[in-house]
Amino acid sequence: MAEVEETLKRIQSQNGVQGIIIVNTEGIPIKTTLDNASTVQYAGLIHQLVMKARSTVRDIDPQNDLTFLRIRSKKNEIMIAPDKDYFLIVIQNPSD
Amino acid sequence: MPPKKPKKSSAGSKGKDKKIQSPAAHDWELSNQDHPEDIFPMVLTSATQELFDCVADEDVTGESPYKLLEKDDIIQDIKTRAAVSDFSPVKQIVLDYPEDELLLVYDRDFTYGQSFYLVLTPDAKDRILNPPKPETPEVFEKEVVKTPEPKPWISFGSDKEIDEEAFKESREKLLYKFSRVRRKFGVPVCFSDRNTADYLECASYQDSRFSIKQMQRDCGMQAVPRLQSSSAQTQWKFQKNIFTQYTPRELSVEEKENILQLESLKTFCNSVTPRVLQALQQEGIMNVFFDDWKALGTATEDGDWAGKVSEGLMLYQAFTDQKYTKDKKICSVNWHPTIYGVIAVALTAKKEDQLNESAVRASFILFYTFSDPSNPQLLLECPDDIFAFEFCPSDPNIIVGGCINGQVVLWDISAHVTGLQGTQPGKKVSVNTDTCDFHQDLDDNKENKTPIVRYCAVSALDSSHKAPITDVQWLPATFEVTRTGLPVENMYNVSTQVVTCSPDCTIMFWDVRVSNLLSHSASERRQIMDQKTPYSVPDTFKHLDRTWKPLFRVSLPKIDTSGEYAPLKFNMEHYTCNANENGDSSKVIPDYSQLILPSAKTLKALEDVNTKLYIGTEDGEIIYIDWKLGKDDSGRLQSAKPLHCFSIHHWLVNTVQRSPFFKDIILTAGSWNFAIWKEGVMDGPILLSASSEQVCTVGCWSLSRPAVFFIGKEDGSIEVWNLLEKTNEPVQVHSHVTNAKITCIKPWAASSKQHFLAVTDDLGMVRVFEIPKTLYVPSRSESLNVKKYFELEEDRLKDLLRREELWEKQKETEGLKKRTEPDKPVTSLVENEEANVKEYNDYLMLEENVLKGMGLWRAPADTQDT
Repeated sequence: MAEVEETLKRIQSQNGVQGIIIVNTEGIPIKTTLDNASTVQYAGLIHQLVMKARSTVRDIDPQNDLTFLRIRSKKNEIMIAPDKDYFLIVIQNPSD
Repeated sequence: MPPKKPKKSSAGSKGKDKKIQSPAAHDWELSNQDHPEDIFPMVLTSATQELFDCVADEDVTGESPYKLLEKDDIIQDIKTRAAVSDFSPVKQIVLDYPEDELLLVYDRDFTYGQSFYLVLTPDAKDRILNPPKPETPEVFEKEVVKTPEPKPWISFGSDKEIDEEAFKESREKLLYKFSRVRRKFGVPVCFSDRNTADYLECASYQDSRFSIKQMQRDCGMQAVPRLQSSSAQTQWKFQKNIFTQYTPRELSVEEKENILQLESLKTFCNSVTPRVLQALQQEGIMNVFFDDWKALGTATEDGDWAGKVSEGLMLYQAFTDQKYTKDKKICSVNWHPTIYGVIAVALTAKKEDQLNESAVRASFILFYTFSDPSNPQLLLECPDDIFAFEFCPSDPNIIVGGCINGQVVLWDISAHVTGLQGTQPGKKVSVNTDTCDFHQDLDDNKENKTPIVRYCAVSALDSSHKAPITDVQWLPATFEVTRTGLPVENMYNVSTQVVTCSPDCTIMFWDVRVSNLLSHSASERRQIMDQKTPYSVPDTFKHLDRTWKPLFRVSLPKIDTSGEYAPLKFNMEHYTCNANENGDSSKVIPDYSQLILPSAKTLKALEDVNTKLYIGTEDGEIIYIDWKLGKDDSGRLQSAKPLHCFSIHHWLVNTVQRSPFFKDIILTAGSWNFAIWKEGVMDGPILLSASSEQVCTVGCWSLSRPAVFFIGKEDGSIEVWNLLEKTNEPVQVHSHVTNAKITCIKPWAASSKQHFLAVTDDLGMVRVFEIPKTLYVPSRSESLNVKKYFELEEDRLKDLLRREELWEKQKETEGLKKRTEPDKPVTSLVENEEANVKEYNDYLMLEENVLKGMGLWRAPADTQDT
């Protein structure tokens, strides 16, 4: 518990970080720093995207796997780090 | 010898007579003979042949087998040789032969059994000798193709069928006419019953005699696709709306707690964190998506890379005219707004000459064009030296000028515009010299006949300014002004009003239209009518000549003291009206002589026109005043007091100019410095340059770059300032452009590739410089940057002022403090001393305790003494 908290703190301390969400494989958010509505929205949408991205990578090369996904938009950047059981979503506002 | 029956039909050569022979052959019984009836095959011995000159193959051949024999000779031969003669079998025929000559034919091919045959009848003879001419084939004749002519119809039996099918009346139609008795016409009919049995019926019945069985029937057939339409529909038995609603799945709090405790989550976090941190930090370091190359390109994007780009102003042309510009200086210069390459300069005599009134020389405004740098193309005659003049923005043929004696002058050059346009470089239009001849009013003995235009109208001497007019401006076409200074809408969308200012402390508004107010006395009006303008002067402004009075005057009372300001230059805000869309009247230039001054009540007042003027005065002050006349206590219309006055420049102000890009930024130049003001900021200029060594004689903004402006100096140098590069010194200094003082600078954008700067000086020369690309192509978002800069400056100014106030206050309070409490500092010192001693004692106690705790305390017997 404390480790998880500590990790979140480390990530949160970077400049520009707007929010962090930890989501399980089914897409249900476990831990978040944003409000409920945004969390649920992010989790649902990004979960589908990650599944798609992962399947794409694995279709091309079955030995390969998705390690990181970054979506850069006009206003901010969404970073997704997938893993076997969970994935971590970080929303950052770029400095420039 | 068997008596051969005289059936010797003649035989034509090669069987031509065959067709005639068939009926003939039937008649005679000599069918076993294989030769026709009217010839007789016979053998002629060679002796006979020689006798009759018909030797075979000598006299008669296959080609000419005919030989005519005399009848008498044959009879002679028969008599001579009796039975031996070859002709004995035909003796009787020969004797009966009606003609004298018999035809003997040599039958080479033995067609009739013998080598010769004798033709027995004269008909056959004729036929053989004169065979019917063969039909000449029509191929050899070129016949004209005739159109087929209708031929009569030859019946082949089809008409019978048609007749059978056709329907004809076999008899005439029977007509039965029934009518009632005349007297029963119109009488109502009365019906009654009758017994049907009394009547003889004539019923129809099937008669077998007349039954026609149709064996064959014609009927038409057509193949048509079979169409069938059918429909089906499900039955909506139970009507009910269906919708779905969903909520996201969420874990309950306990579940979340459980998961958070799991090991897997911990490992996950550990593994994921480095990646995420790296990505986050990457973001912070640099922006990978930023296109440096694109951001680099600014003004040099489309510059030529050949290296020919020059940085400074390049001299393009210089204009001067020996005759007119001698000993004169140029006070004002203007580019012609529409014609390319035409510059107009106003020449005034220099100050020293002004005192010398004996030499009265005509004053002119010269028009130069690029194509002819040493001869002016047009001269405008002025009653006196002109200090300032302007082209009318709506009609470039109208020019207004302000004289040295205070009069306002109007010209109309529409007659000579073609002459000016004809002198474009590259156009070889011969200038119509006819018009020049009319303008020989003055005694010109020039060879090149520059046309001179006399002024159309000049203002009334008593109502003009009392001092030289130093600035003239046209009011923009978007609004006009009434007699009280109220801005109203301009119906014609042309500029018709002029504002002038002069150091006699007034600003006057003039209108060039016909005034319908009967302000003229009868004698004046008569005077106007009687006056004939000289032939050559266009009568556009005839109504104004010599009687022109200003609409109203604005005087400039001083703010603090009595007296008035003496304005030299002024500037007003150009009002742009967006809602003026009644027809595209921009192209139509109304005839100025027909415009009539409307009554003030009929026009709509415009509320949002900025009626304030920035004025630069003789003493170096910048005044901000409203020109609307207000009512003072006594009810008379009076000019308002100026809103602000700043004494920034120390001498004559010679430029007050608004930036063409920002409506509220004004450049003023005078004496040894220049300043930039923002309208609305009443505290002072937002930028004030350092005093330079030379007097700044003129300043002007660049037309295409918001941050660039030019300053002319007394020593003949031009400074180019760029606010975005350096604000404390000019970016470029072109020193000694001319030897004399620079009097006027005017930029002009001739085309997108050519920008010119006209510089005039004290010696009467006009130099046109070409502005290099770096100075006229604005940098990226230059306007925005300059705006930001000005805002920054404004903030700085406000801040400065605020701080100044603060300092003032502080100084005051401190001064007060010093005066009221002089012994306070002494007591405070004593207090401090006590506090220090107390602290030291406390420290000693602490030290003692700590050392005691550590077991290192040694009672210092000697320290107690202090």
